[in-house]
Amino acid sequence: MVGHAGKGSKVKIVAVTACATGIAHTYMAAEQLEKTAKALGHQIKVETQGAMGVENELSEKDIREAQVVILAIDIEVEKRERFHSTRIIQVPIQEVIRNPKSVFEKIQPWP
Amino acid sequence: MLTNVRVAARADLKSVLSLIAAGISFGDCCAVRIDGVDEDAAGSTLRRFIEQELPKLDKPVALAPRTGALPTSFDVAGVEASAIRAHFGTPVSSGVGQGTAVIMSMIAIPRDGADGAADPVEERPRAELALRAVRAAIEKSLSGATAAEAAILSAHLAIASDISLATEIAARIEQGRSAFSAIAEAGESFAAVLRKSENEYIRERAADVEEICLLLLEQIQGTKLTPAPELAEASVVIAESLAPQQFLALNRIFLKGVVLETGSTTSHLSILARSLGVPMVAGVKDARTMTSPGKEILVDGTRGFAILEPAPEVRAFYEREQKSVTRREASLAARAKMPAMTRDGRVLEVAANITSAAEAVAAFEKGADGIGLYRTEMLFLERESAPSEDEQFAAYSAAVCGAGGKPVIIRTIDIGGDKPLSYLRLPAEANPFLGLRGSRIYAAHSELLETQLRAIARASALGPVWVMVPMVSSVEEVRWIKARLAGGIRLGVMIEVPAAAFMIDRLAAEVDFFSIGTNDLCQYFFAADRGNPNVARLASVRHPAFLAFLKETVARCRAHDKWIGTCGEMAADLRNIPLLLALGLDELSVTVHAVPAVKSRIRGLSVSECEALLDHALACESASDVDALLSPETPLLDAELVILDSACENKADAIRAMAEVFYAAGRTEDPELLEHAVTAREAIYSTGLGHGFAVPHCSSDAVKADSVGVMRLERPIDWGSLDGKPVQMILLLATRSSQKNGTHLRFFSSLARKLMDEEFRNQLMTVQDASAVVARLSRELEIGSG
Repeated sequence: MVGHAGKGSKVKIVAVTACATGIAHTYMAAEQLEKTAKALGHQIKVETQGAMGVENELSEKDIREAQVVILAIDIEVEKRERFHSTRIIQVPIQEVIRNPKSVFEKIQPWP
Repeated sequence: MLTNVRVAARADLKSVLSLIAAGISFGDCCAVRIDGVDEDAAGSTLRRFIEQELPKLDKPVALAPRTGALPTSFDVAGVEASAIRAHFGTPVSSGVGQGTAVIMSMIAIPRDGADGAADPVEERPRAELALRAVRAAIEKSLSGATAAEAAILSAHLAIASDISLATEIAARIEQGRSAFSAIAEAGESFAAVLRKSENEYIRERAADVEEICLLLLEQIQGTKLTPAPELAEASVVIAESLAPQQFLALNRIFLKGVVLETGSTTSHLSILARSLGVPMVAGVKDARTMTSPGKEILVDGTRGFAILEPAPEVRAFYEREQKSVTRREASLAARAKMPAMTRDGRVLEVAANITSAAEAVAAFEKGADGIGLYRTEMLFLERESAPSEDEQFAAYSAAVCGAGGKPVIIRTIDIGGDKPLSYLRLPAEANPFLGLRGSRIYAAHSELLETQLRAIARASALGPVWVMVPMVSSVEEVRWIKARLAGGIRLGVMIEVPAAAFMIDRLAAEVDFFSIGTNDLCQYFFAADRGNPNVARLASVRHPAFLAFLKETVARCRAHDKWIGTCGEMAADLRNIPLLLALGLDELSVTVHAVPAVKSRIRGLSVSECEALLDHALACESASDVDALLSPETPLLDAELVILDSACENKADAIRAMAEVFYAAGRTEDPELLEHAVTAREAIYSTGLGHGFAVPHCSSDAVKADSVGVMRLERPIDWGSLDGKPVQMILLLATRSSQKNGTHLRFFSSLARKLMDEEFRNQLMTVQDASAVVARLSRELEIGSG
């Protein structure tokens, strides 16, 4: 059951962050996504693919229930095929750190 | 007569040259034969030298191994590599210098084939006169020489006084050669033997022989054979090779660097260049033809190349580098001299152990807070009679004056059967370490001690002097000294016989301070000779039993409110510092070169953490359990890696400065590689995350341990940040690429997340000092691992 995400309504989001060295930006981006989602009243789960490997891994259920997946990545993500039937918003990590709200604005308007 | 069995070479033991020519390498088996009326005495002297002095003589030659690459940061400076005319060689003496090229011709022993029928009666005294004159000239130079110069001049004096060389010259004169030819041929024949050696160090000595012969020939001719060029402006001297005396003849005000075609890091010349701080590159092919006299040339003696007519960008790069080197040296020197204070505010004195007054000067330059042990034995060894009161006074007062008001602890003579003095006639003992030594010989040699105590008392007029007595096990021994020591001088005893530790209650009534001599105390405590490989492992200073003993000993001193330090090797091993800190000592006295590292280690510790660690160690079963407890990974954070007042003016400068901080703290051996790794990451996109923060990082084995460096700038600089604003706070995260440490990576990730929090950023931006940064970040570490 996929709900509608009208302006101002709560969206279920999954995200993956991954940067080149996996030391800093992967986690800064994850933090920004979580904080901003909370501020905007969205529900989000962020998987990090960094130097420690995959953490907070998205389950099949997480992905199935999500209305959108944000890929904040500088490198190719592992297991991209998981998202074949989910709407993908892909942005460079820098954008998430610089202006996280702009990333969420891409979710609206719902097509 | 010595025979090197491996190569069947023989040498006269009285001749330095013939000994060198015997080509003795480490591990060679040598036979020695001694004949003559004094053969017994000579034999025992030689035996003692071989057993006790020889092992201490060999100093490793400091090699500068990196070679063959332009600085990676030239890329940052925007210099096209192809535009740089660089000629590579071996870095010999570090530093950078620039000047006009001065090309020198090579030194060679001239030949004079014309003469054949000279009169030995006339030539003999000419050669002898020349030898005497050269020896006198070297001796004269010796009087004003620095330590490095003196070492070389002494070697030259040995050659000029060499019996084989004199014999060889005399033999040729008897055959009808002129004094000139005899010297030239004898010198050449010795040099030729040395040049054939398989050992590079010995091959280098050929240049010394040639140089001495040249000086002899100049004496005979009465003219300079190799005039030194007059330097009149900043100059770089280029030569095939250069003799030490030629080098010393150059005007050092204008000498900015040396480029040699031959030569290596072991030659006397390179030792001189290093001690005088003249940048030098050796082994540069065709150096004399690569440029012409008067052209500008830059010598990078650190990296090992010369650059012809350097472009303005290259000069600018080196000017910037010089600035940061100067800053680094100033900051290292300033930090070395600051007291060693733990993170929680306890100050521990770090003093130096010395054997001569000259070492005292070096000790205070390295930041020693005092002299914790002045071993006076060296004054008494290797001589026919005891040093006079005046001679001792001169030595002690030199150390006291060098200390500039800081205390100097002079230990009374510590001699025994293992270090016999011919003029004391100590009996040979089956077990000298348990025999007559230290204070135990004093009563039988009261005059010796009284002279020493008088000399010390006189020196005490010049600054604070404490007297320390070795090998004390009873109150009587202390009273004996006390009765002979002038009033007003603090008296202490070494705790090195276990019995003394259990006499502290009574000793404390007689003395002012105690110093634990861990070396002997440990081997007496375990009844195991540390020099005996079969039992050495039993005598570990980290054994829980020994630590318990130390704890008890310090507590007894504390109960009597007495000052207590330690002057054993235990304190020079950085692993032991947390334990020694927890024991509650007032002072650690260590070898001179260890002073800065010990101080810096103390600054990274906290007493409460160390006390917990000591409790753990005391509960261990064995020394190896304690070893394991003490050698955990290097901590990620260290106040040494935090700079809160950086004056860096741009991004490249700041990254380089941080790499140098890592280098200074021993986190990397290759700051350039670290700099390159960080710069390469920045090239992908700037790590300036906005709000005045940047998190440059790298995953590279350029770092020896995962580390966090922190730098706060006095003035914000451009970092190409995401928000376009300048950066003031830089956090450098460095992990090793080959070993991933989960705990450290966890910390990095939680730190990265935390940096998204404005309040946290504000706290970091306004912390007062380095330890507060470490404390604040450590709290994050606990969050990260918890």
